[in-house]
Amino acid sequence: MESNELEHINKLLDSDIELREKIKEQVNELDKKTRIMAGLLNKIHSTPSDAMPALLESVRPILFSCRDVTSKLSEIIPENQFWRWKDMWSNSLRTAVYAAVLIEYLSKRTLLTIAQTAEMLGITAECSDRMALPAEDYLHALISLVNELSRLAVNAVTLGNFEEPIKISTFVKELFAGFSMLNLKNDALRRRFDSLKYDIKKIEEVVYDVSLRKLTSVPPPKTVENP
Amino acid sequence: MATTTTSLSSSSSPVLQSFDTFRADLDDYNDRRERLIKASRDITNLSKKAIFLLHRLVQNPADANEDQPTHYKKAAQQGYEKLREIQDLYAKLQPELEGDKYWRYQRQVSPGLQEYIEALSFAHYLDHGTLITFDEVQKTLMTADGVKFFPLTVSDYLLGLSDLTGELMRFAISGIANKGGRQKASEVCAFVRRCKADFEGLTPYIRDLRKKQSVTTQSLEKIEDAAYAIFVRSSEYDLPPEILDDIVAQSVSNYSSHTYETRGHRRDLHAGSDDENGAI
Repeated sequence: MESNELEHINKLLDSDIELREKIKEQVNELDKKTRIMAGLLNKIHSTPSDAMPALLESVRPILFSCRDVTSKLSEIIPENQFWRWKDMWSNSLRTAVYAAVLIEYLSKRTLLTIAQTAEMLGITAECSDRMALPAEDYLHALISLVNELSRLAVNAVTLGNFEEPIKISTFVKELFAGFSMLNLKNDALRRRFDSLKYDIKKIEEVVYDVSLRKLTSVPPPKTVENP
Repeated sequence: MATTTTSLSSSSSPVLQSFDTFRADLDDYNDRRERLIKASRDITNLSKKAIFLLHRLVQNPADANEDQPTHYKKAAQQGYEKLREIQDLYAKLQPELEGDKYWRYQRQVSPGLQEYIEALSFAHYLDHGTLITFDEVQKTLMTADGVKFFPLTVSDYLLGLSDLTGELMRFAISGIANKGGRQKASEVCAFVRRCKADFEGLTPYIRDLRKKQSVTTQSLEKIEDAAYAIFVRSSEYDLPPEILDDIVAQSVSNYSSHTYETRGHRRDLHAGSDDENGAI
């Protein structure tokens, strides 16, 4: 290799390394935020329904602050290179999406669409070649949501909230019907989808237990305290 | 569940409607991915054919009136011709790889592209005796008015070149008994040694380059051993290299019935070309 060619190659490599470091910095920032959110959202399992809105409100500001990271990323990423770097933040972004859909479900009982999620996270369609929310990441987050809700169905009952499993059951079944419409190939998404049936089974069992004992018609006992 | 799905998918449930979009998205992605994998495989095949063609052409005896560089240059021209088929394929793939799509499907494109760079750099070496540059490779992958089919990556460039060393080893060793073959082998040996040294500093930045470097080292050792054997043996005869060439050439033609065995051995070497560790 001629020495100037070697220099040329080295320069190209150096600029990639520099870019990678800049991205890494932002991803670390996003990681920090998503870890805090995941930590806070863990408390849904021990929070009675009347305290739930306050808990969810406490997570929202952090969720909104993810916009700072996504907008910085869309500045750093060169034109058309979104897919080149996205693996660096996929996991953190999925957690952020998971937080967004979980908060939305618990506060409004609806599914936050992918467009609404992207908007909430400050991801705009104009710079989609630099920063976007791929369907795959959104779908991964939905599966995490179902995993979490199946736990919540159990824990809500322990806290005396007998309606929760029934609401969750309806919602999760609809999501499952949605996932069944997809032609998934043998990848991580497919494996996680296959595990959804266990979550559904768990939720169904809780619904069964609760209805069989006619607990839903009885107002929740006041004695149960937040452990 | 299946019946609910079909009856609901066309209904107004917003959740299921959005999954309809996801299905279209994922199908589009998977279909394009499959198409590109197939194209990459075709390109790999064509590249291998071009490499075999080049090996065959340089092994053919040169015309009496042409010197060795002209012989190699002519071979390279035919190689370029063959490689044009691949360039046409890439031109056709351009719409599939437009904009941000190239980076999305880069992993599917890479294997064929590296094989192409290997073949192209081999033809280039025969033509010029040098390593093809990054920009020269990119230039073969753009339209006449300079629009790139896709941006070439340093990684594909270097990994493709790294495979070249294996071809050069075959080239040097299978030509060693030909006229001027020993001289050529020592040139190739020096060239591969330089490549190895150049790549060494780049290994930390390119995934998989280290693995290829060890293959390069093996190839280099094979050429070195062959050069050593030839040197030691020829030192026993105090004759100029051209006369040694003639002696070797003569005995090869005299023992044409015998050479079947040795040729069979050399064929193994060609058959092993698929395997980068091709045994000698």
